[in-house]
Amino acid sequence: MMSSNVAVIPSLNAPDITTYGSRDEGQVISYRDALLWTMREALRKHDSVMIVGQGVDDHKGIFGSTVGLVQEFGADRVMDTPLAEEGMTGVAIGAALNGLYPIQTHIRADFSLLAMNQIINLAAKYKYMFGGRYDVPMLIRMIVGRSWGQGAQHSQSLQSLFAHIPGLKVVMPSSSQTILETYPAVIEAYRGPVISFEHRLMYDLQFHVDASWIGTTRDPFGSRLVRQGKDATIVATSIMVLEAMRAAGHLEKVAGIQCEVIDLHCVSHPDWDLVMHSVEKTGRLVVADTSWREYGVCAEVCRVVAERNPGCLQKPVVTLGMQPAPCPTAKCLEDLFYPDLRKFVDALATLVIGNPGHGVSLPDTQSMADVYKRFKGPF
Amino acid sequence: MTDAQRFRELFYQALRIRLVEERIIALYPSDVIQSPVHLSIGQEAVAVGACQELEKTDLIFCTYRSHAFYLAKGGNLKEMFAELYGKVTGCARGKAGSMHLTAPEVGLMGSSAVVASTIPHAVGAALAAKHLGKDQVVMAVFGDGATEEGVYHESLNFAVLHRLPVLFLCENNGLAVHSSQSARQRYAILEHARSYGLSAQHIADGYDLENVADTISGLVRRVRQIREPVFVEIRTYRYKEHVGPGEDFHCGYRQREEWWSWKQRDPLEQHPDLRDMMQPSIIKEIDEAVEFARASPFPPEEELLRDVV
Repeated sequence: MMSSNVAVIPSLNAPDITTYGSRDEGQVISYRDALLWTMREALRKHDSVMIVGQGVDDHKGIFGSTVGLVQEFGADRVMDTPLAEEGMTGVAIGAALNGLYPIQTHIRADFSLLAMNQIINLAAKYKYMFGGRYDVPMLIRMIVGRSWGQGAQHSQSLQSLFAHIPGLKVVMPSSSQTILETYPAVIEAYRGPVISFEHRLMYDLQFHVDASWIGTTRDPFGSRLVRQGKDATIVATSIMVLEAMRAAGHLEKVAGIQCEVIDLHCVSHPDWDLVMHSVEKTGRLVVADTSWREYGVCAEVCRVVAERNPGCLQKPVVTLGMQPAPCPTAKCLEDLFYPDLRKFVDALATLVIGNPGHGVSLPDTQSMADVYKRFKGPF
Repeated sequence: MTDAQRFRELFYQALRIRLVEERIIALYPSDVIQSPVHLSIGQEAVAVGACQELEKTDLIFCTYRSHAFYLAKGGNLKEMFAELYGKVTGCARGKAGSMHLTAPEVGLMGSSAVVASTIPHAVGAALAAKHLGKDQVVMAVFGDGATEEGVYHESLNFAVLHRLPVLFLCENNGLAVHSSQSARQRYAILEHARSYGLSAQHIADGYDLENVADTISGLVRRVRQIREPVFVEIRTYRYKEHVGPGEDFHCGYRQREEWWSWKQRDPLEQHPDLRDMMQPSIIKEIDEAVEFARASPFPPEEELLRDVV
């Protein structure tokens, strides 16, 4: 069973669009509210949009990201579903083929494994296998449930399984900004299946957003250069982008080390030129992913660098990810399972300075989850 | 249309499907069709009957054994042969082959080679039809084996729960590859379907061209009118091996006598006069389609990575 770590989700008022249409640099919005706003806007702007998923209409509303929408748009458009992941994914595909834009939710990414047949054998192949005669426009939102004690089946970060399959676009929004830049554009204009991995730990975080992008044609799938630096390149996904920014900030402060940070964002179709350009500049690469390193994003980034220009690396690549085990529940083990900021900074300092005795002071040992209970953006 | 005219029309459509597949059998040893074929020979009456009352705008979702439904729904014969030949002029530009025939221009949606996987698509298309106010009927075509899959249950449940205009059509040939129904199922398909609150009918003789057509046409009209799901199971018989052009009675999983008893009732065997009369024009049409396929180009290299995302 799923259990929320948030005792009460406060009732959220979806912010008015005009708030975000302004160029107010000081605008702050949580990841959750960014999601809720994009869901509401999708329903408001497109009659074809339907949100389908277990509990999308209940009082908790997918951690607050769909709360109140059924009252506003009705149960026909914000539709609770039976516990039938494969069937409902198939229903979404059929609906997409006949004119709807389904947004499907998996409150735990782990549950999407029940729908793998429909996602991989059908949604991913429908366009190609039938000679380009169909589009399957749909968004599947999957939440990486990592928080506290979620264990082996409620916390997995499964992006590489899907990114491996041609025909799918897989994104991992790392901030309110990337949600606001990605979801409306995808729903409006992209005609294929998109899988988005949202990270539970970020739902409560507040982010500054720059609203000037609204109405522009920025590529919703583009990777983002989120910090410039000359000493090392960190390629990161999802919440590891935030960790990368914290690590980079610490190193700059205590040692003057300047790290460049790239938010890979669309892990299935990253901007490899952006990555290569940075690695060729810094000569040092750290890949920080939310999942296992084996056969995943870490491995893929290494493949591309090795194929394109291995000579640009001055040092061996460093990868950060989950330990090669199912996720344990006991907190002492869970803290070892995920990389923390101290390990992140230590790895970076070792890489840049060249030996483990780098002498750079490390941040206090603190698990990432503890930090993100209180952490406030922005980056 | 008189009854006699109607029978001739149904007979013509069924014969056309049979002759197309007999041509596939004749061509197969030459290796111009380089992919698996699952033939519908023996099951033509079901596809023909199922499509009589469907409009081009009505949608139908099929399986890997879909030559008959493709043709009955109005799919283009030249594009079908070109697809089997792997040519770029095929209905899916040579990327589908026999198992994934499609003809969206007449409402034949994508056919899947994974059993039961298109059933929820029909339900979802019906959901869209309801939501968008379309006057469509959507048909889910599947075999008896598909009823064993979990997604079949999920689809029936959802369709009834939301009162969606789907006709579930179970084409029961009694076999899943080489396994008999009795070795696989401890439930009765019809009874089980009714337990969802579905109105469900049984057609015991899938070789009765007129009765199959009349019964299913009535159900299609009913779905169109009441906008609720309906179920029909039709008993039929597969003449050929599961996949491929041959017979396999020598393999021991079924008896030739069984086939013989169906063949006695095979409508295409009962009227040699009609067959002789209709055959020449159909053969000419098939000749032209095969020539179109033969003369068409293979997909160029740029097709390899086209339409992936």
